[in-house]
Amino acid sequence: MDTTMTAQDTAALLAEELPDACMLLTLQGRVAHWSRGAEAAFGYASDEALGRELTELVVPPDRRAEQTQALADTARARSLTYESVRRRKDGSMLCVDVTTRLLARDSGVPMILSSEKDVTDIKVQRDAKLMEARFRDLLESTPDGIVMANPTGHIVIANGQAESLFGYEPGELRGKSVDVLLPERYRRAHVGHRSNYFQQPRKRAMGSGLDLAGVRKDGTEFPIEISLSPLRTEESAFVMSAIRDISERKRFERALQEKNVELAAANQAKDRFLANMSHELRTPLNAIIGFTGTLLMKLPGPLTPDQYKQLRTVQSSARHLLALINDLLDVAKIEAGKVDLLPEPVECQALVEEVVATVRLQAEAKGLTLDARLPETALVWITDRRALRQIALNLVGNAVKFTDQGGVTVAIARETRGEGSHWLCLAVHDTGSGIPLADQSRLFAPFSRVGHLRPSAVEGTGLGLHLSQKLAQLLGGQIHLTSLEGQGSTFTLEVPEH
Amino acid sequence: MARLLVIEDNDANLELARYLLEHSGHQVLVAGDGVAGVEVALRERPDLVLCDLQMPRLDGYGVLAQLKLDPTCASIPIVAVTAFSMAGDEQKVRQAGFDGYFSKPIEPESFVASIEALLPAGRRG
Repeated sequence: MDTTMTAQDTAALLAEELPDACMLLTLQGRVAHWSRGAEAAFGYASDEALGRELTELVVPPDRRAEQTQALADTARARSLTYESVRRRKDGSMLCVDVTTRLLARDSGVPMILSSEKDVTDIKVQRDAKLMEARFRDLLESTPDGIVMANPTGHIVIANGQAESLFGYEPGELRGKSVDVLLPERYRRAHVGHRSNYFQQPRKRAMGSGLDLAGVRKDGTEFPIEISLSPLRTEESAFVMSAIRDISERKRFERALQEKNVELAAANQAKDRFLANMSHELRTPLNAIIGFTGTLLMKLPGPLTPDQYKQLRTVQSSARHLLALINDLLDVAKIEAGKVDLLPEPVECQALVEEVVATVRLQAEAKGLTLDARLPETALVWITDRRALRQIALNLVGNAVKFTDQGGVTVAIARETRGEGSHWLCLAVHDTGSGIPLADQSRLFAPFSRVGHLRPSAVEGTGLGLHLSQKLAQLLGGQIHLTSLEGQGSTFTLEVPEH
Repeated sequence: MARLLVIEDNDANLELARYLLEHSGHQVLVAGDGVAGVEVALRERPDLVLCDLQMPRLDGYGVLAQLKLDPTCASIPIVAVTAFSMAGDEQKVRQAGFDGYFSKPIEPESFVASIEALLPAGRRG
């Protein structure tokens, strides 16, 4: 030592060259002196720190109450030693051992001398040893990468899965800041998250809505899912992160998304095709049915009986074609899953009466009876009105169409079956010629013609029953047939409550 | 007697509407696409417009928008006569602001009476 130095110079030199952060604080915690050691430890230059509150500069939010208490305790007890956590200017954290002393001279204001020693590495090594001994075997047995960090965000233990996930050698992650595992752009925010997390630690599930990325030692990024849980020991609080590489799942999700977009496009193309086909078929039919109509209305002039008869044939054939187009489009829509059901309370008596009224003229023209057997009490069913009506109309219409003598009876009832399930049964019975057993199974296929029907009786589209069965299935039910040749047929629709 | 404008790009269907309406004693103006239809409507201010939806140059929705924007034509009823008759088409047409909807094929027996019902009071019959 230079012997020419005065004792005062020596003291000043020591205070400046001490590696620890030495600070002089007012009793309220304002910085009055900031050593070079403090500059090195916390990253703030002396002129940045002077006059500001220490808490505002380097004390993380979860430690502020502790710091205020420490100042008060020092003022009372004159000196104090404690462990704490500080935050550097760049946001990184460090563990410190703090020693304070009250400087109260006879003259002048009392001040507090605070000396803070960076013990981060020592602490990490100590914690690591402790945690290794306790948890290593357990951590190696889990499929996820596990990283435990202390409150300053330093890794105390990482299992083999985490090391290989991030591309590090065994033991290489110990002591590093967890920030090295995150892309640069997340780091700043992560420090804030971590501070919050230690204030209110709680378990957070894997991938709780966050799109996170991890970064490997070689700098490459990969998508990860993290679940955090707090772990308290007598020594300290830790955060345990279970990390899973979800590259594969992300790839699947992306592929699925692309597939969905494709499917939606294909679906739209199909919709457009159906709409256009319908439009293009109807456009010429408009002129055919229209002008046949004007001729039959005799607007251009009188018709001979033959002309009239032939035009009636054109008209009924054109209408048949229109019905066919409508049914085909309905089938196409059902098969494309394009029928939106609208379940609502349907008054079944009223619906049956309406259907019967629609078909009554046809029945009377053939000399058939047409009866509805309806329950006394109102039968209201939650289902799709349009579909139910279409099925009922088809079944009753068919019965009238294919019966030459006798009549048709429509009955509805509510049936309760096993397990308390309720069904609506709509039965349409006719006294027609019946359907041979051999034909019954293909009756619901499109364009099937069965039985020994006279050709003139065949005037449907060949799609009605097929369509009705499809609609019944959409409603969750089905149509049954019981028939004996020569004794008529009963078609029964069964629909569960929606 | 009323003055009616039929806007329709299909000749056969244009002829059908014209024939039916004229036969009932109405005066019929015709246009073969949306642009021509708007021109005729602005010039002649008919009592009612029958308009196809899918047409070259300007479709029925375009015709509707232009005529409803014009103060001299805004009150003229415009009805759509269209081969778009899938579920939801009528609703779409009415929501767009058409005053009526007729799907093709039309019913020749009742078509004229249905159109006449949509004529402004005083122009009927």
